[in-house]
Amino acid sequence: MDPEERLCADTWTKSSSSSESLKTPPNNTSFNDFNTQQTFSFNNPFGAQISVTSNANNQKQMSDPQESNNTQDWDPRAMLNDLSFLEKKIHQLQDLVHVIVRRRAQSAGQADEILVQQQQLMTADLTSIIVQLISTAGSLLPSVKQTICPESSISQQFGVTNQTAGVSDNVVFQHNNSVNKLEDPSDMTGFFGAEQNCPIEDHEMKSDDDADEGENLPPGFKRDANLRMHMRGHGDEYKTPAALAKPHKESSSEPILIKRYSCPYIGCKRNKDHKKFQPLKTILCVKNHYKRTHCDKTYTCSRCNTKKFSVIADLKTHEKHCGRDKWLCSCGTTFSRKDKLFGHIALFQGHTPAIPVEESKGSAGPSNKVEQLEFKYKSDAPSGCSCRNVMDLEGSGEDPISYFSPLNFETSCIDGFQEFPRPPFEDSESSFSFLLSGSCDYPPKNGRYTGSNDME
Amino acid sequence: MDSILTLLTDDLLFKILSLLTDDSDRKSFRSTCTAFYRVDSLHRTHLRVLRPEFLPSLLSKLPRISSLDLSVCPRIDDNAVYLLLSSAAPIWTRRIKRLTLSRCSGLRFRGLETLVGNCVNLESVDVSYCSGFGDLEAAALSRAAELRELSLDKCANVSDVGLAKIAVGCPKLERLSLRWCFDITDIGVELLSKKCARLKQLDISYLKVSSESLRWISGMERLEILQMVGCGLVDDLGLHYIGKGCPSLEVLDISRCDKLSSSALGSVIKGHNSLLQLHASYCYSELPMTFVDQSKDLKNLKVLRIDGARVSDAMLKIISKNCRFLAEIGLGKCSVTDTGIMHLISGCVNLKVLNLTCCSELTDSAMLAVAESCHNLLCLKLECCNLLSERSLDYLGSHCILLEEIDLTDCSGINDKGLKYLSKCSELVSLKLGLCTSISDKGLSYVASNCFNIRELDLYRCAGIGDDGLASLSRGCKKLRKLILSYCGGVTDRGMECLSSLEELSDLELRGLPNITGAGLRKLAAGCRRLAELDLKLCENIDDSGFWALAYYSRNLQQINFSGTAISDVGLCMVMGNLTRLQDAKLVDLSNVSVNGFELGLRASCARLKKVKLLAFLRRRLSPEIIETLKARGCKIRWE
Repeated sequence: MDPEERLCADTWTKSSSSSESLKTPPNNTSFNDFNTQQTFSFNNPFGAQISVTSNANNQKQMSDPQESNNTQDWDPRAMLNDLSFLEKKIHQLQDLVHVIVRRRAQSAGQADEILVQQQQLMTADLTSIIVQLISTAGSLLPSVKQTICPESSISQQFGVTNQTAGVSDNVVFQHNNSVNKLEDPSDMTGFFGAEQNCPIEDHEMKSDDDADEGENLPPGFKRDANLRMHMRGHGDEYKTPAALAKPHKESSSEPILIKRYSCPYIGCKRNKDHKKFQPLKTILCVKNHYKRTHCDKTYTCSRCNTKKFSVIADLKTHEKHCGRDKWLCSCGTTFSRKDKLFGHIALFQGHTPAIPVEESKGSAGPSNKVEQLEFKYKSDAPSGCSCRNVMDLEGSGEDPISYFSPLNFETSCIDGFQEFPRPPFEDSESSFSFLLSGSCDYPPKNGRYTGSNDME
Repeated sequence: MDSILTLLTDDLLFKILSLLTDDSDRKSFRSTCTAFYRVDSLHRTHLRVLRPEFLPSLLSKLPRISSLDLSVCPRIDDNAVYLLLSSAAPIWTRRIKRLTLSRCSGLRFRGLETLVGNCVNLESVDVSYCSGFGDLEAAALSRAAELRELSLDKCANVSDVGLAKIAVGCPKLERLSLRWCFDITDIGVELLSKKCARLKQLDISYLKVSSESLRWISGMERLEILQMVGCGLVDDLGLHYIGKGCPSLEVLDISRCDKLSSSALGSVIKGHNSLLQLHASYCYSELPMTFVDQSKDLKNLKVLRIDGARVSDAMLKIISKNCRFLAEIGLGKCSVTDTGIMHLISGCVNLKVLNLTCCSELTDSAMLAVAESCHNLLCLKLECCNLLSERSLDYLGSHCILLEEIDLTDCSGINDKGLKYLSKCSELVSLKLGLCTSISDKGLSYVASNCFNIRELDLYRCAGIGDDGLASLSRGCKKLRKLILSYCGGVTDRGMECLSSLEELSDLELRGLPNITGAGLRKLAAGCRRLAELDLKLCENIDDSGFWALAYYSRNLQQINFSGTAISDVGLCMVMGNLTRLQDAKLVDLSNVSVNGFELGLRASCARLKKVKLLAFLRRRLSPEIIETLKARGCKIRWE
């Protein structure tokens, strides 16, 4: 398949898949529309879609040996190729417009919503083709002029062209950084690669002055790749080298293009019609936001059978540490690590770590055990051990029975296991005392000492 | 009689009472008459009870009690707490601000929770050595939101979680001791530093915390006292943090932190010129020169302890020049010489406490210098200074008349003549003469006839001491509380009879005295009714007749060591069952006691025992119930 054809097909599959999804159940439908319903602060709805389609190609481009070959002479045949490509595209464009016209005529009776969606799909394809047209046309220029002009001036020029065309930040970005990539117009992947940041940016960064590069990077990131990974989270517009550069440079060189996305769900805070609209930064955010907030949670964790997710990645993240979150806060939040829990506690007033259930059982254990023992002693004692003791000791004392009869009583309901009905602190007089006074000739007990408390 | 007493108003009696510091004096006071008793009841704010059974009635009679100490009570457990709180309308709980529950190992979180919940105005709690305490008990404590002071020493099961509970629940904490809470880590200390900003005193000794903890501690603005003895994981970086932070620091104890280099002390001193106390014992084998150089910044230093570090004469000279207000210096095992002491004394004339343990090169001339310069000396430790003779004591006796404490253990040069000189120090409270083999009854009689305030006397292995010495002792030193006579082979039953007139004696060590029999013990027990700790190890001729008397009289006995005595089954059961305050018993090598005797003895006392030492073979012979019961009640069993 011809590269461009394949690309077109890709684009169409995308679009058709979205139109197909119209027939699927409502909840799925709505989340699949996300790419057709975007808000555009800078009025470029399709950059994101394009980048999705070209993702795979882009990877391939990295390994393309032609890539490194930067200094090409002007190749008339390539130019011819480009021109015929342009011709083809123009035809495609014509066809599309025809279709639009036809559909408008047909769809008079159709529901508004579907109509709008179809139109948007169409416009998406349309814009895609226009973008391709312009960029290929643009690539013709450097391939002619490259031998004469320095690279930078061309890219300058290019920037102007593209900006006046007002197409997309992706294109702007492309002219700015990777003109070299586009000298082979037949290689469409090159074009799409341009907006695909990673390899190109890499190239671009490396061609920079080393010292400069160091300055450009915030101190937190030692590798530029790490910085890019980080910036990805802030949204598409931060992927450009301009965004990675120092702030003041950025402001002087380029107008910042900010894209914002809206959730298709009316009434959602992420929907553009909401009073306090909080836009989403990337298309991926839209997708995940929609799934998480407006769709059923269909994925259930197989371990705990309680947690449910609508995004499968969330489920996987959860499954990784499900059951291992043993650090529990009094507010009910669990943590896999103690330091995370303590960080949480430090942050919030009044939160404390909850003591695990097993531990509280363990500590409560002794008292239960004592109660059990108490019971056991009571049942055992009369017949069991204490009698045996008497028997065993018979030989040792003069009159063991008289010695041990109180003792047996003592052990059989050992006074340690104090029960509530008994008077408090009963043991100030022990059962042995009568024995002492009976069998010894000591002076009678002095009351002063029994009651003496060591007071300070 | 009546007329004189009626002249004394309550106000006057209050004033008199507040001047009576000694327990026995107060006891005499309140036994005088009902009016005095009433005033004493109104005056008393602190109560330390041995018998919890009297607690409810006592508390209802003493309206001003704000501090309650249950640390010497046996069988304080959850049930006891419930009973205590249910017995009367407990108005007293609102008054209690200070609660001492040290070694109440039978208490568990439910009881503690109830107690803390009732005493709503608690400001200070001591649960040290409650070895069974863990996070649940800490959580119970954390309900005391007004808590200012807390000691968790040796509550080995308290982890970061328990500490977090306390840190969040008691934000007003000012003093906290976590000594030996081995489960607490950097994470817990970090949270503590974030939640308890009012901390003034913190003890993290022997914790397995690193310098990271000190980084967080250094942010505590109000911290005045930091004790971190034996923190082996802390390195110089930690001390560097302390040097940069802790703006209020006054006392720092880094003893036994063996990972520190000389620069650690330097960074601390640089940041804290106003340090009052620095304890750095056993950190260094040699005192770092950097410290000596920087000591000029420590102008206010009052206490310096550098035991274990070799110190040169020149160093002492610089220190004494720089730190003129030193009141206490610890130089144990520092190999100090006479010249060094002279240098030290030349600057620091206000020394009150001087520790020269194991400085065996010191001679009489060093003592002469000390005696002539430091007239305010209160405490002098000279253990193992073998070259000292009676002349040293002559100098001390004639110049340092304020001396209260002196340790002459293993000073072989001390003889009767020396004791005669020393007896001029009539304020002596503590005198240690262990291993001084040259002293005899005659020397002791000099001491007994002049030093009436002696409370602690150590005569360990003084072979020359016999019954005559004890006779003079019992006549003179009536305030004696602690007496060690172990291995003084000449002591017999007659000596015991003499000791029986010492009514305040509470701690007596009689190890290895074969001449004491049951009759001697009987006389002793009948006389010394305050005995709380008694060690009879290897007194092999004491038989049941003595122990029967012990069981009958010594109702205040808390700790006993029977090991190696001739006690029988019956005697053991009598003692263990009858001594209702007994909490700690060592029962090793009892040849006359059968397994059943042990079983019964332990069953009779298992409710109150906190610690017991037994022979290992009994572990399998005793019934599992009794062992389990003991453990469940928090009793620690040591198998020998």
